[in-house]
This record gives sequence, structure tokens and C-alpha cells, in this order.
Amino acid sequence: MSNLIRRETGHAVAVQEQVGQYLTFLVGTESFAVSILDVKEIIEIANVTRVPLTPDYIHGVINLRGSVVPVIDLSARLSRHCSEVSKRSCIVLVAVETSEGSQLIGMLVDEVREILEIPPANIQPAPDFGTDIRTDFIQAMARVDDVFIILLAISRVLSLDELSLLSDLAQSQEHLVANSD
Amino acid sequence: MSELDAALTVFAQEAEELLTDMEDALLSLETKPDDSETINSLFRAMHTIKGSSGLFGFNAIVGFTHEAESVLDKVRNGERGIDAELISVLLDSKDHTAKLIEHCLTQKEAALPASLAADGERLIRQLTGRQTTDMQQSDDSVQLEIEGGGEISVDDNWLISLEFQKDAFRNGMDPLSFIRYLRTLGEIKQILTVAPEMPVGDDMDPESCYLHFKIAFQSDANKQTIEAVFDFASDDCDIKILPPNSKLEEYLNLLNAQDDNHVKRLGDMLVQVGALTQNDVNHALQSQQANVDAEQEAPGKPLGEILVEQHVVQQPLVDQALKKQEQTKQKLASEANYIRVDATKLGHLINLVGELVISSAAMNLIVERHGLSDAGDVAASMNALVSSIRDTALELRMVQIGETFSRFKRVVRDVSKELNKDIELYISGGETELDKTVVEKINDPLTHLIRNALDHGIESPAQRVAAGKPAQGTVQLNAYHESGHIVIQIADDGSGLNSEKILDKALANGLIKPDHDLSQQEIHNLIFAAGLSTKDKATNLSGRGVGMDVVKKNIEALRGSVEIDSIEGEGTTISIRLPLTLAIIDGFMVGTGQDRYIIPLSMVDECIEMNANECEIDEIQHYINLRGQVLPYLRLGDYFHNQIADINRKRESVVVVKFGQTKAGFVVDELHGEHQTVIKPLGKVFERLNGITGATVLGDGNVALILDVQGLIDSAISSKHRKIPAYKP
Repeated sequence: MSNLIRRETGHAVAVQEQVGQYLTFLVGTESFAVSILDVKEIIEIANVTRVPLTPDYIHGVINLRGSVVPVIDLSARLSRHCSEVSKRSCIVLVAVETSEGSQLIGMLVDEVREILEIPPANIQPAPDFGTDIRTDFIQAMARVDDVFIILLAISRVLSLDELSLLSDLAQSQEHLVANSD
Repeated sequence: MSELDAALTVFAQEAEELLTDMEDALLSLETKPDDSETINSLFRAMHTIKGSSGLFGFNAIVGFTHEAESVLDKVRNGERGIDAELISVLLDSKDHTAKLIEHCLTQKEAALPASLAADGERLIRQLTGRQTTDMQQSDDSVQLEIEGGGEISVDDNWLISLEFQKDAFRNGMDPLSFIRYLRTLGEIKQILTVAPEMPVGDDMDPESCYLHFKIAFQSDANKQTIEAVFDFASDDCDIKILPPNSKLEEYLNLLNAQDDNHVKRLGDMLVQVGALTQNDVNHALQSQQANVDAEQEAPGKPLGEILVEQHVVQQPLVDQALKKQEQTKQKLASEANYIRVDATKLGHLINLVGELVISSAAMNLIVERHGLSDAGDVAASMNALVSSIRDTALELRMVQIGETFSRFKRVVRDVSKELNKDIELYISGGETELDKTVVEKINDPLTHLIRNALDHGIESPAQRVAAGKPAQGTVQLNAYHESGHIVIQIADDGSGLNSEKILDKALANGLIKPDHDLSQQEIHNLIFAAGLSTKDKATNLSGRGVGMDVVKKNIEALRGSVEIDSIEGEGTTISIRLPLTLAIIDGFMVGTGQDRYIIPLSMVDECIEMNANECEIDEIQHYINLRGQVLPYLRLGDYFHNQIADINRKRESVVVVKFGQTKAGFVVDELHGEHQTVIKPLGKVFERLNGITGATVLGDGNVALILDVQGLIDSAISSKHRKIPAYKP
């Protein structure tokens, strides 16, 4: 049994090393991709409950089969304007490892495109500058049909420490605003 | 292998419980050294651990517990007295046993570390070394007792009553021969011959026996032996043997010592201790039966009453036996009523009940939406069932806090010895119940607070006397329920908090700035800030300034709060307020705009209409007049989303919430009413979010947020009054 599992994971690693599969999606008009192994599920956008006193990039929380899952507005997280929810909007659910086990987090994206197989030869390290998003959010750049797609470093983009810290800051900012009124 | 592991787990669990019981028993012995039941339980604990360790071949444990057991056996049999010193050694022995068990469980095969072995030997020496002197002492006391008992009194004799029947002579009985034979067993002190039925003159038949004897008899023989003397005569003679009063005590003790593994019949109990013989009981039972037969309706007299009436046993003995019987029954009943359940199974059940609550809310919503009147009744009754299932399921996890409290007896005892202080711990409200998951998490903060009270709070005896206080300091642990919360109080009568010292330290640490005008309460609350300790010297107990902030954080993680109340020179009281459960609460749903929020129902005091005519609305000051009292309020929608106040407000309501002594109003657009709220954690992302404690799933599948009333009030207070200096660059 354990042999079998080991072989399977070994297989998965092998695939990743040879030809990685990536989910591409649009944020605004830009294409981004994440490794398919990080993605747990893609769901339609449904009733999102907004959470007060949080920064813009926290879109809200949803009910996923009885669990409450936070949803991050990826556009706002990448320092763009908040995304407008349209009928093409989707939530990509990814699992983020924490010290207390993994937690599901949803990423609000404007459109989910396709799953691409990208050979390692086409993947290049992130440039030191030249993109308008934080360099530590970029895992690598993938060349697909002579167009570069940014592969997002999920662990950085959805870093729980950072998300929870910033929500705190935003709160104090709001207090300041409320205070100065 | 796995079966053995499972058995080991059970062993470890059982041993831990037994050792905890043992500690409790030892500590209670300090106040009540003669309680035989407690001594028995001590003995049983050691005995059981020895037995089970033997099963697993843990020879180190067997060797040690055997010594402790033999000492306890001596104590149990009264051969050795119990004193503070022995209790101390036994407490250490208990700790040592725990260490041995841990060692055996973790490093099964490895030999005992030298230090552990040396400890064990030292303890055995202490346990057994005192034994010889104790033995002498107990010998002395035995002699004294004999001397004291040497004084002959009528009370100390057996009272034997022989009522021979008329046919006794004809059947070949000679009363005199029995009495002569009785002499061989002891000394007849007095003999009284009565002849109540002796007829007069010719009516007397010389061949009949009219004589009855009452004998005061002194003997060491037991009742059985004495009765055996009259064995032959039993058909022709009514024999009643009443034990001497000195025996009474012995019987009472024996009764107490009887093991209580099963309920015995009264007669059997008395026979077993020797107060009665089987004949007496049979006789009494016969007459009981006869009575029942004679008076069909009336219930038969209790056996005890009959026995006393027949003068075969004294009233106190019967009373004691009945009491013992009742105790045994109760004990067995309480033992039988417990089922050991895996906590994860219980957790799973409670999760399922949570989902059930949500599903039933969804069903109600559909029934309501479609206006199904006939389904409405069914839905309503199911709703009631679901909510009682919910309450019962949550109750399963409720435990009394007393067990947690009594663990601190040991802490206080050890720490006060270490600090050379005389401190007494008083516990009250131990029967207050709260969720097991909360109990587990409250243990560390409580330990910390108590250690603090012992180390910082209570002064040394000399200082106390100088301050005009009794040399003995007291720490009180108290728990009680208050509106859906449990309040745990730790109060000491020590030196209290020194506000100036705290201010100095806080200034030095840069926690506050010199121009801050802080209230007494705010100054006290500074001790919860990280890195602040007023103790000049750090001890290994406390004083490093880490801890109070952790305590506060731990308690807040349980959706609780800490309040501190201190009068310098008189003492400090710390009150911890915790929700009773972390799973499901009764909530009150309100709405602002599109958003819906849940306020814990236990905190909702009342709801009033926000009406300009009734309440003096002051848009700038944000307070209203609630029946003559100032009620500050928070417009939830505005506060949360920072909207500019809408001029055309709809009809609004004020939900008046109460938290401890604070009252405040939340202005909302809609009141949705009560809602069974299954608390879902919001996760790590929102862990620092103030004002929201969790979320719940509503019947329509949407998520509603649960308000943290105190957090909201606090942040409102800090943003209104303090101008939050910490956030200014």
C-alpha cells in the first residue's frame, strides 16, 4: 500500500519535472498561472459575505459545503483595482499549508482559461524588475506561444501571516479615518 | 503489537487518573486524617497500579508501589498513624510513581536512570524507615486502650437472654448445663433469673420449664461462638444475644471498612461483621414474613426495625449499616452511570449536530417561503427536537471545573513551601460546568495566574504581620455562571498592584508616554502588555514579564476576556470570563443593509426602536437616553463599512447589549430574531480581526458573521476616547 502511494507521488513529481500542468486565468486582462497541483477546486462565484474592517483584497467569506472559506480578491492583492464581479468570475480554491494543517483559501479571478502543459525548458526565472507586481509573488515566467505568463508563487501571494497582518493594519487605518472624522 | 499498545494506553490513562485521585486523597487527608474511606482509596490506587504494572512486566513500578502499598496497608489497618510528614512522603511517592510510569512507557526496555532509582530508594527508606518508630507508638496506644478498657461496666458485657420454652425439660434440655458450658468461654458477671409466666400453686407443672435467664457475660468470643453454646437448645429456647457496647464500635468500624463493590442485604452486612448470626437474621426474616402474611395490605416492617425490636442488635448498628448500604448504592449508581467515550467521537457528534441545526434552519426557511402550513407544524416540532438535541449534545461535553481547581491545591502547597509563605487555597463553585475543550485550554492561564498570585501577590509572613494582616495568606478560586458565560475568579489578599511601579515600568519600556492620563483600570490593564514585570527580581516562578500577555491572548482565543481589580495593600482579583461552549450558541440575528450579523443572545439585554421622539438622538455624540441612563451606541453599518450617514434612514432599532458592567447599543436596520448559531472558525486569515469572532452558515447557505461584542465596544472606546496614540506615526 505504502509502496503504491510512493509510486504515485513519485509519478506526480516526475510529471512536474517533465511537463508541468498549469491553470491559467485572467486577472483584469492579464494572464496568470498556478501549478495545477495547488488547485483544489474551481467554483462559480456565489453569495459572498463581506467581512468588515478588512482591506480591499479580502473579498469576503463563502460557505463551501459547510465550511467558511475566505476569498481573496487577487486583483487587489496584486495591487490593482478591485475586480468587478461578472458572470465569468470564478473562485479558484487552493490549499495553503499552515502550522496547524492546510487551510483552503479562495482566489477571486476574472476568468478561468485553460490548463496548459508547459515543459521546464519554457520556464524562466522571474526578472529582477520590469513587472508591476511584487517580485516575490512571481515564482517564474512561462513562455507559451511566445507570450510570457506569470506563474504565481501561491505560498507568497496567499501567505497567511501576511494576510492576517495586513488586515490588522487596514483596520487601524480605518480607525484612523473614523477617528479623524 | 497494536493491541498491546492499546492496552498500554488504557494503563497510562488509568494510572494517571488513579494518581490524580491519590493526590486529591492525600491533600484531603491533611485536613481529615482519620477518613478511612480516603485511606482505602489511597491503598487501592497503589494496589491497582502495582497490579497493572505487573501485567506489563514493569518491575520497577511494581517494586516501588509494593513498598508504598504495604505502608498504606499498615495505615489502613491502624498499625501506623498518618501525619503531615508521611503525607509529604506519599505525595513524593505519587510523583515518583508517575515518573516511573512515564519512563516505562517511553523507554520500555531501558534500565532506570540512576537519579530515578536513587529517588525511589530514598523514598522507600523514608516510607519504611519511620515505620519502626510508628509501630512502637501504635503498640503504646493499644496498651493504653486495654488499660482504659479494664474498667468493668455493665455496658461492656454481652447481654444474653434465654427464654426456655415449657417443654424444654421434657425434651431433655438442662438450662443449667448450658450456663455452665458458657463459663468455659468467659466470665458470667451477673445472672438474673426471671419467671414471668410461673403459674400459681397447682397449675404449676414441675416438669415444665418456666425460667428465663438474663446473663451479663464477659468474653472475647464472638457472637457466633457464643451462640454455638446454645445450639442444641435453639428449638426449645428463644435466644437473644446482644453484643457489648465496646463491640459496637468495632462493628461500626467493620461496617465502614466493608468493601462496596456490590450492594449487600442489611442482614448479610450485619452477619459479616459479626454483630448478628445467620440464625438471628433468619429468625427476624421469618417474623417479618409472618407479619406480612398477617397484615396483607400493610407493608412488612423493615428488617432493621424487627432486629432492634427483638433485642438482638443495637439501633446505632442498624443505622450505620443502612447508611453504608445507601452509600454503596449511590456509589455504584454513580459508577454505573459513566461511560467512557472517545473525545473525538463526541467532537464528531457535535459537528454533526451543528450541521443538523443548519439543515433544519434551511428546511424551516423553505417551509416558510412556500407557505406550507401543514408542513409548518412538523417543522416546528422538529425544530424543537433539534434544539434539545443540540443542548443535550453540548451538555455531553460539559464537565465540572472542580477537578481543574483541585489540581491547584498541590500547586499552592508546593509553591508556598518553596517561597516560605503560608498560603491557604479556598475553592468555591467547583460544580460550575463548562465545555471540556475550554477546560483544557484554561488550565495553563490559570496556573500562571495562581503562581503570580502566590509569588507577586501574597507577601512573606513577616511583611504581612507588619502590614497588620494575618500571617497566613489566602488565595481564592471561585467560579460561577453569568449570562451564558462562566466567570472564574482568582483573588488573593496580598499586596495588590502598585500603580506607580507599573507606570514607571511602562514608561521605561515605552508602552505609554508621560502625558497620558490613564485611569486606575487602564493602569492595571498594562500588566497584560508584553514585557512588563513589576517584580524587581525574576524568580523561577514568575517575574520575567512574559506570561500575562500570553494569558490574555490565550483567553481571548477562547472568546473570553480578563478583568483585573486591585486595591493596593488589600489584594488583587482577576476575573476571567469565558463562553460556556465553543461550538453552538444561541444567537440574535440583525441586519444592516445587505449584511447580517449574529450577536450572542446571552449578551442581548433588550431591543428598542430608534425613534427621535423617544430617545434623544444626538448624531454627533452617539449616545441616547435609555430611561434616564446614558447609552452610547454604535451604528454597525457605518462603523463597519465607514459609510457616510444616510439622511433618509429607515426605521432603525437599537440592540442593547450588556457585557459585564458595560452596556452599549448597536444600531441596526433589521431585527431577524433568535437564531441557533453553529460557530464556524474564520481561520488564520482573520485571527487578528477585532469585533468579529467567527462565522456561521445560515439556512439559505449564506455566511453570517458573529460579532465580538466586547471587542467592538473596546475598539469603539479606544477610537473615541484615547485617540489611539499607538497608531500615530
